Amino acid sequence: MQQQEIHDFLLRYFQSNNCELVDSRSGFMTVQLTEEMDKELMNRPFYWHYLEKTGGIPNPMQLTLITNQQEVHDDIKGEIIHFGSPRLHQIFASTKKLAGYIRLYEDRQGAPGTQTPLLPWLCLNTKISYQCDRKRDVYQSIGLQLINGRMVTDFHDHLLQLPLTPKIPDFAFTLSPLIMPKSGITRIENMLRTNLSDEDHTWAEEAKQRWKKDLQLLDHFYKDVVEDTESYEIEKQALREQFEPKINISVINGGIFYLTDNAI
Amino acid sequence: MTVQITFDSSWQEELLNRITNDGPWGNWELYKLANEVEKHTLIPQFEGLQAPKHLSQLTPLPHQLEVAKQVVENMNGKAILADEVGLGKTIEAGLVLKEYMIRGLVKKALILVPASLVSQWEMELNTKFFIPAVAQKKSYVWERCDVVVSSIDTAKRNPHRDIISQQSYDMVIIDEAHKLKNSKTKNYEFVQNLKKKFCLLLTATPIQNRVSEIFNLVSLLKPGHLGSESAFFQKYKKDARSIDDDEHLRELVNKVMIRNRREDTGIEWTKRYVETLPIEFTNEERELYDSIQMLKENSSETISSPFSLMTLQREACSSREAVYYTLKNMLKRQETPSSAFEERIAAIIKKVEAVTKNSKAEKTLELIKKIDDKVIVFTEYRATQLYLQWFLQQHGITSVPFRGGFKRGKKDWMRELFEKRAQVLIATEAGGEGINLQFCNHIINFDLPWNPMRLEQRIGRIHRLGQEKDVMIYNFAIKDTVEDHILKLLYEKINLFEKVIGDLDDILTKLDFGKVEDHLVDIFSKSASEGEMKIKMENFTSMIQFAEELREGDGHAATGNS
Repeated sequence: MQQQEIHDFLLRYFQSNNCELVDSRSGFMTVQLTEEMDKELMNRPFYWHYLEKTGGIPNPMQLTLITNQQEVHDDIKGEIIHFGSPRLHQIFASTKKLAGYIRLYEDRQGAPGTQTPLLPWLCLNTKISYQCDRKRDVYQSIGLQLINGRMVTDFHDHLLQLPLTPKIPDFAFTLSPLIMPKSGITRIENMLRTNLSDEDHTWAEEAKQRWKKDLQLLDHFYKDVVEDTESYEIEKQALREQFEPKINISVINGGIFYLTDNAI
Repeated sequence: MTVQITFDSSWQEELLNRITNDGPWGNWELYKLANEVEKHTLIPQFEGLQAPKHLSQLTPLPHQLEVAKQVVENMNGKAILADEVGLGKTIEAGLVLKEYMIRGLVKKALILVPASLVSQWEMELNTKFFIPAVAQKKSYVWERCDVVVSSIDTAKRNPHRDIISQQSYDMVIIDEAHKLKNSKTKNYEFVQNLKKKFCLLLTATPIQNRVSEIFNLVSLLKPGHLGSESAFFQKYKKDARSIDDDEHLRELVNKVMIRNRREDTGIEWTKRYVETLPIEFTNEERELYDSIQMLKENSSETISSPFSLMTLQREACSSREAVYYTLKNMLKRQETPSSAFEERIAAIIKKVEAVTKNSKAEKTLELIKKIDDKVIVFTEYRATQLYLQWFLQQHGITSVPFRGGFKRGKKDWMRELFEKRAQVLIATEAGGEGINLQFCNHIINFDLPWNPMRLEQRIGRIHRLGQEKDVMIYNFAIKDTVEDHILKLLYEKINLFEKVIGDLDDILTKLDFGKVEDHLVDIFSKSASEGEMKIKMENFTSMIQFAEELREGDGHAATGNS
C-alpha cells in the first residue's frame, strides 16, 4: 500500500464513520472524532466512564494523521502513519469490526403495478490461511443463492458492479429463502473444505520434514538429560506450534444481499 | 496427506443473531474498505518478504534481503546476525522488524544499542523504514511508545528496569550483542528476563566458536532449547574451542546465526590505500624524546611501570603538549616528590619548552592542503587534539573535535558540522566508535593505536556501505622511535591495514591460538622493555604467518552459514 492509498483509505474510513474533517491537505489530515470513534480508537475508557458517571459534556478528541512527512510543515504535530504502523493496524482492525455484517438491496425500482422481485443471496468473504512455519493467505469471496443453491465465486467483485442500498427500494419485494442462512453457511464451508482437500499439499509435507529435523536436533540435546522433562515438553510443544501444517478459514465479513434475478 | 482444516464458526452465530434482531448492519463503504484492507494485508506466498514493497525509497542490497528472508522464513524471528562490520546490520534488522510489523505480528518492540548509536537507530528506523521509533528520554516512554530505542545501560537501571520488566515485547533487538556472551553479567541477566517473542542479536565479532558462548547466546534466543546447562557442558566440554567437529552443534549454529563476509556479498568494495609517511624529528623534538629515557634510571620512585614510560615516549611522538600534560599529572600524583625527581621532570619540561615546531602537525597541514577535501585526523591524546585544532585554525583550516565522551546530541551536532561546514574532524581514540562518516574518504592516523581492533574501528567509520570512493589511509610514524617499531612490527608484517581483523580472529581461533586482542594487550602492557616487546611481537607475527599458511590449504571453513 503506497502512502497515497493509505491517505485515501483514511479519508474514506473517517468519512464513512461520520467524522468531520477539520483540515485535510496533501500529506496530512486532522479529523474531529465523534464520540463513538473516540471510544473506538483513543483507548481512554476511564475518561468515558467518568463522563457517564458525572454527566459532563463529552469532548471527543481531534486526531492528526500524517501520511507524507515531506509535504508537511514542521509545526504540524501528529502521528506518522505508514504501512505497518500500529495505528494503521488498529484502524484496519476497526474497519473489519465495524463492517462485519451487512444487509443490502439492489437498487432497482419497479413501477407501480410491476413490482420487482429480489432474490436472497448469502455472501461470505473469507481468508484461507495456510500455516506452518511459514504462511500464505488466499482471499475468496463466495455467494450462495438461497433459493436455487447456485454458488458463485468472486462474489464481492460482482457486487461492486451493482447499485446497492440499505433500504428496500420502492416497488420491490424480497423472496423468502428456501435454504436457511445457517445451512447456507454449512454448504459454503463444505465446498471450501472439499476444494482444499483436493489441493496439492507438498508445502505441508515439506513443513513436516523440517519439523522432524528440528525435533531430532532437540532430542539430541536432551538425550542424556534425565530430570528436566518439563522444559523438553515445552520445547517440543513450541516446535509443534511453529511447524504443524494447518489451514484456517476465517470470515472477513459477509451478509445477506437481495438482488434481481439477472444481476449475477 | 490430510491437513487439518478449521473453519471459524464464531462469525455465523452473530450473523444469525443479527438476522433475528434485524440488525444492526454495517455500512457498505466500510464493508468495501474492510475487503480492500484484507487484500492488502494478505501474504500471497509462503516465500518472500512484504516489507520491500512498502519501502519504495529504500533499496536494500541482495545480501541484506537474503538475511531478512532467512530470519523470517527459516529462523522464526530468532537469530544472531553476525555480518562483518559495515555490511548494514541495521538495515537487516530494520527489514525484519518492518516485516513483522506489516504482518501484524509485532507491535511493541525494544531496541537496545550502545548509547552513541541511539539517535542514529532512531533516525534510520523513522526515515528508512517509517517505523515510529522513539529514543527513550523520559521514563513514560517505555509504556506509552510502541517502538523504543535505548542504551542497555540506561534500560537495566532502575526505575527503568522495573517498568521494562512489566512490559511484554513482541520483538527485542540488541546491537553489539557480543557483550552478552558471558551469562554471569548483569546485562545478560537483564536481557534474559525480558519478555520477548522474537529476538535479534546483532554482533560484528563472530562467535568465537567457544561452546559456552554458543550456549549462552542460544539460550537467550531459545531458552531451554539446549537442555540443561550442566548436561550440555558435560557433553561439550565447556572450554572446548572447536564446535566444528560436532555436527549437531554446527547444525544448531546454522539455524540461529547468519554471517556474511565482505567477499560473500558480491558487492564491489572500494579499495583501501595505505601510505606510511616516515617523519623526521626536529633536533629539539629528538632531544625531548631522548630525555624521557632519563626517567628510567631512577628506580626508587618516578615511573611505576615501564608501560607509562612507553606512554610518554609515544606521547613525545605525538605532541609536546601531550608530554607536558602527563608530566604535570605525574608530579601531582606524587605526594612528596623527591627533589631528584622534581629536577628530572623540570629538565624534561625544559626540553618541552625548547620545542618550537611539531613536525607531524606541519606534515598534516601539508597533506590536508594537498588533499583539498574532507579529512579525519585521529590522535590518541586529548592534548594533541586541542593543539591540532588551534594549529589548523592558525592556518585557516576549519576543524571540529570529536570525543567518545561527548553526549549523544553533541556527537550528532559535530558530525553535522563536519559534513556541512568544516574540512577536518579531529577525533580521539574513543571517538572512533559509534559514528558513521561515509562522506569522507581520507584518514590521517596522527599516531597509531597499539590495539589493531581500534584501528579497524577507525577505518570502519568511513570504509563501509555507502562509501563511494576509494579510502586513503595515511599513517604517520617518527623515524627511530617506538612508534616506528610498532608500525613496522605490527602493521606491516601482518598487513593489518588491508586485512579485516575478524579474519585474523577467525584464523587464530581455528588453531586455538586465542584472540588477537589478548595477545596485543599482553605484548604492549606486560613487556618490561622495548627489547622484550620486540621479541614477543616477532613471535606473534610468525604465529600468524604460520596460521595463515595452514589455512591456505584449508579453505574458508570457519564460522558462517553453509
